[in-house]
Amino acid sequence: MATTVFMEALSPTMEEGRLVKWHKREGDAVQVGETLAEVETDKAIMDLQARADGILRQVAVAEGQTVPVGKEIAVIVAPGETVGAGRGTGDEGRVAPSPAATVAAPSPAPRHSPPAAAAADAAPVKASPLARRMAKESGVDLKLLTGSGPGGRVVRRDLETAAARPAATVSASAPVAPVPPPPSPVPVSRTGAPYEDVPLTQIRKTIAKRLATSLGPVPHFFLTTEVDMERAAEARDALNRQLGDRGKVSFNDIILKATALALTKHRACNAWFQEDHIRYWNEVHIGMAVAVEDGLITPVIRNADVKPLLEIGREAGDLADKARSRRLQPHEYTGSTFSVSNLGMFDIDQFTAVINPPEAGIIAVGSIVQKPVVVDATVLPRRRMRITMSCDHRVIDGATGAGFLKTLKEMLENPLAMLL
Amino acid sequence: MSAHVLQVVRAGVVPYAEALAWQRALAQARLEGRLPHDVLLLLEHPSVLTLGRTSRETHVLRPEGIDVFEVERGGDVTYHGPGQLVGYPILDLAGHRKDLHWYLRTLEQALIDALAELGIAGVRNPGHTGVWTRGEGGVRKIASIGVHVKQWVTWHGFALNVTTDLAQFDRIVACGIPDVVMTSIERERGRGKGDGSIWDGTVAAVVRGFERAFGVTARSAELSPVVSHTLKGALGETLC
Repeated sequence: MATTVFMEALSPTMEEGRLVKWHKREGDAVQVGETLAEVETDKAIMDLQARADGILRQVAVAEGQTVPVGKEIAVIVAPGETVGAGRGTGDEGRVAPSPAATVAAPSPAPRHSPPAAAAADAAPVKASPLARRMAKESGVDLKLLTGSGPGGRVVRRDLETAAARPAATVSASAPVAPVPPPPSPVPVSRTGAPYEDVPLTQIRKTIAKRLATSLGPVPHFFLTTEVDMERAAEARDALNRQLGDRGKVSFNDIILKATALALTKHRACNAWFQEDHIRYWNEVHIGMAVAVEDGLITPVIRNADVKPLLEIGREAGDLADKARSRRLQPHEYTGSTFSVSNLGMFDIDQFTAVINPPEAGIIAVGSIVQKPVVVDATVLPRRRMRITMSCDHRVIDGATGAGFLKTLKEMLENPLAMLL
Repeated sequence: MSAHVLQVVRAGVVPYAEALAWQRALAQARLEGRLPHDVLLLLEHPSVLTLGRTSRETHVLRPEGIDVFEVERGGDVTYHGPGQLVGYPILDLAGHRKDLHWYLRTLEQALIDALAELGIAGVRNPGHTGVWTRGEGGVRKIASIGVHVKQWVTWHGFALNVTTDLAQFDRIVACGIPDVVMTSIERERGRGKGDGSIWDGTVAAVVRGFERAFGVTARSAELSPVVSHTLKGALGETLC
């Protein structure tokens, strides 16, 4: 059924609106709630939203044009539907202006629903945008579901119920790939050898070959997360008060320590790519990118996971000094299993770092910025920091990297978690 | 929690792009119901020109040495800079009135009330949204307004000249009105008259103006400490 899009009254005193920008074009697929266009009245811009799913047709108003309230400005039709027949009753219950000329039916879109469901296609199914997305992603035919939301609307829980039931109500033609739970992270083994060599499996070899041909010798991908640093800041302040003049803990020390500890819980990210095998390290050696006069070097804090914060801080300071005065010995800048690059002090909010081969990952740490954030239903100023992880896709997959980053975020947001 | 609580967040000097990201995030939280009350962000921008949806490029006369942003608010080109109090109300109009014209007029009323408290007679200029003053030689513009609304949640807002360098407006055809004369609270009251408290006095008057015009209660108890843009040196002097 076609739904007419009208110039809506955004105020009882509004007589006409100016269409300042179309977000959708003629022939675009639109979903309920999506912004179709921006309408201006006076000095206010309001998003005009789609009230039906379908294809946008008969766009009758150009950008910059001013039209009276209630004027038809476009039509949303079902894929393959002809405008003119059976149109009219939009949700608003307004009478549509006289129907315009019939639009040529576009070639039918490929159908994903089984023939039995086709008859019901014409009637729109009431469903929330979230339910629609979930249905699309999981290949469930909305028409086969009974909505439990207001007015029979299909909502998320209906999809969840359907997913829990056997296949009877699920469209057969769309392959439903069961999503396996992500593999549980393997912790570092503290006993025995310093590392374990694991031969590349066939799929790992294929992944390595395919991805390397698509992007450089090391196929990078990036994951960014924003970390709330309020509690890390409180912990640092409390530690420094206690330490007095015996030393100082910096945010950088806390980040190095948390990174090392998070790696012990995600061995898959503490690894070297070695052409025909992956070396999963049971020791955690953190490389720390240091800017020097004509470049940068990455001295290593060995076994950072088991060193106290103060020792990490002392070592980091010594190594940075040595790096700047070019006194680093080779054993002090080789052998890291993962790296950290911190440009926070240069006021960089967010950046991506290049992996230091043969390591499989590096995190790029931005500056700590205070911003108003919604916390527990109110706005509070919070210190936030963005971390971007670069992953070598031959070793780390998206979910693997995300799992590590989640652990790191949890440790920084609740430093006591480092004791777990 | 009452929908008629207004949480006032004062944020110091914030770069335009960053404040825009804040507004969008807060509006999204308001839309999704994670934020159950209205918020008023009060801040200043470093010098910047912004173009609304209906701006004409010919209205930007001298863009040299200043950032220019194109944004989704209503209205034409305007200037923001030091000494200008910028207010971004994140309101759910469903809790007030679903009426954009009412919203614009009530924003004007809040600023007119605030100016009255400061001894300045602000007026409307029909057909030209914003707040104006009347004096010899006609009307002068003291506050600009441009808003965006999605599902009745607002962002963008107003810019009230307190001690703004008004010469900066010569860079543009302000608000798209040729020969518009801009003014500020400082200019209207005369220099040196209570200068020390002019900013804080304006902020307090604007908050009270909002309370009256929108029928909200400002939550001064939770009035957040000034949010500073970055914590320089927070990471210490070590490394990288």
